[in-house]
Amino acid sequence: MTTLMGTDAPFAVSVRGVNMVFDGVHAVRDATFDLEKGRFLTILGPSGSGKTTLLRMIAGFGKPTSGEVFINGLAVGSVPPHRRSIGMVFQKLALFPHMTAAENVAFPLRMRRFDARTIPDRVQRYLDLVKLGKLGDRRIHELSGGQQQRVAIARALVFEPDLLLLDEPLAALDRKLREEMQLEFRRIQRELDVTTINVTHDQREALVVSDEIIVMDHGRIQQKARPEATYRQPSNAFVANFIGVTNFIDGMVTAVDGDTIAFDRPGLAGRPGNGFRPLVGMAARGALRAEQIRIAGGREALGDVDTVFEGAVTDAIFEGERVVYEVTVPDLDGAALRVFDHDPVAHSQHEVGAAVAVGWNARDVLVFGD
Amino acid sequence: MKGDRSKAVTLWTFVVAALIMLSAPTLVVLGASFTAGNMITFPPEGLSLKWYAAIAGATDLRDAFLRSLIVASICTAVAIPTGTLAGIALAKYRVRFAAGVQVYLLLPFTVPLIGSGIGLMLIFGRWGVLGQLWPVGVAAAVINLPFMIWAVTASAAALDPDLELAAANCGAPPLSTFLAVTVPAVMPGIITGALLMFILALNEFLVSLLLVDARIVTLPVQIYNSIRSIITPDLAAISVVFIAVAAAAIALLDRLVGLDIFLKSK
Repeated sequence: MTTLMGTDAPFAVSVRGVNMVFDGVHAVRDATFDLEKGRFLTILGPSGSGKTTLLRMIAGFGKPTSGEVFINGLAVGSVPPHRRSIGMVFQKLALFPHMTAAENVAFPLRMRRFDARTIPDRVQRYLDLVKLGKLGDRRIHELSGGQQQRVAIARALVFEPDLLLLDEPLAALDRKLREEMQLEFRRIQRELDVTTINVTHDQREALVVSDEIIVMDHGRIQQKARPEATYRQPSNAFVANFIGVTNFIDGMVTAVDGDTIAFDRPGLAGRPGNGFRPLVGMAARGALRAEQIRIAGGREALGDVDTVFEGAVTDAIFEGERVVYEVTVPDLDGAALRVFDHDPVAHSQHEVGAAVAVGWNARDVLVFGD
Repeated sequence: MKGDRSKAVTLWTFVVAALIMLSAPTLVVLGASFTAGNMITFPPEGLSLKWYAAIAGATDLRDAFLRSLIVASICTAVAIPTGTLAGIALAKYRVRFAAGVQVYLLLPFTVPLIGSGIGLMLIFGRWGVLGQLWPVGVAAAVINLPFMIWAVTASAAALDPDLELAAANCGAPPLSTFLAVTVPAVMPGIITGALLMFILALNEFLVSLLLVDARIVTLPVQIYNSIRSIITPDLAAISVVFIAVAAAAIALLDRLVGLDIFLKSK
């Protein structure tokens, strides 16, 4: 078996130059990353980004067209899925319908030839862990959606795998249950300290549950970073757009002064996004989060900001803890900026059609080249 | 309103007509079997169970019925493994020449039974196995296999493909996955197909006629032979027993898997 060279304490998972092409579709392109033991990684991306394909290759369902996956430093390319020590929770759970909850949880133990005398105790311990202690005798269809989720988690963890894979198992749940299960995943993962890779298209879930986030698009890894860094220092415009609510202002670089880039119109400036080396005359794309924009009835009321524009409210949505505005700014070619106002009481609500001023600081504008 | 009414009348006329057409043969036979007379007539002349007593004592009918049950059992035993494997393969894998295989499976329907029967008679004749019961069972399995395959395919097509991956992920090698997960999951289709095969083989007439000789006639052939001599009400009685066995099989099917699965099968 091939081992990954140059690592004393091998990573739980290492992916090296993995490509996957099927039916002429290049689903995963040159994916490379490492994951330390005990970490919770989320692969985040829109549908068709290749995130599930990558996860399934790690599980052993589908061989990479090229590249290699290492688990605990060992190449697993020729190891069939049933010989890998990986637990997986499937998108549609894939519980065995003809078995009870306890039989489902016992199945991996039977297949992996655990001592038959220890199986019942172990099954009970994991049913307790997922808070299903008394429901082991139930058939799968007699359990609620949330309870089925818990059975699937117990089945994936009961044999103490080296790695836990979660293939969007929460996508079908309603919001309240989903948020409850996200915290539940986090609790169990911390309790067992099992290395976990989660796949989702839900940016909130990625931010809430993960130690690290990989953002994928069109089969390519766009960024791998901690959640806060992913949010605050997106590596490109795609990541900036995919996580959070982001406004984009397109223009051309007019001046570069240290870390300040002036672009497009007088007064519009920002700092370079990850890796962007601006030159005067280059196309530039400024990314500005909706919550970084202040809104007020007039320029004076905005306080101390670098950039101010005037516009008109074209939409106002009251969301309880915040008001979401859409402000059309004539001086920005009629661009419609989305603005979160988290303090609607202090600012008084602006009606649709009202003239307002919007302002922000240059350090909050990230400028990208693409 | 008037349109609705005439629509309802037309619809109900068709429904009632269809119900009568479908059930008439059964009802006539059922009625005729209870006759007290010596001729097979409908409506019956008086009521009695004497013809049931007659068939209970008639060893030739009883033996023929027993032989039919054996034929049906052999047919089912042959069809379950073949049909299950073929059905799962067709539903799950991109089988090479899948379209060709489908057409091939339809052959028993398109070739007239008399043709299949003569073909099978020639083959079994050459092998020198005619005059035994098992070739009749095998023949019934061959000509009716598409029913078994379709029943299993319908179940297997509804199967979540992740179920087998989940089994592999749990550590199950391919054979264990098949036995512990795939087969139980398509069990409704297997039960449906098996009972169907049993009934079809029990009723099978034309091919049996060509494959049996006087010593091993099956029940449908025995009834046919009797009709050619004198038509007595014991034939109606044995037909009713026949219908009862089929009805019991259907009831069992409904009990085990529910008829809706069968009706939905493609």
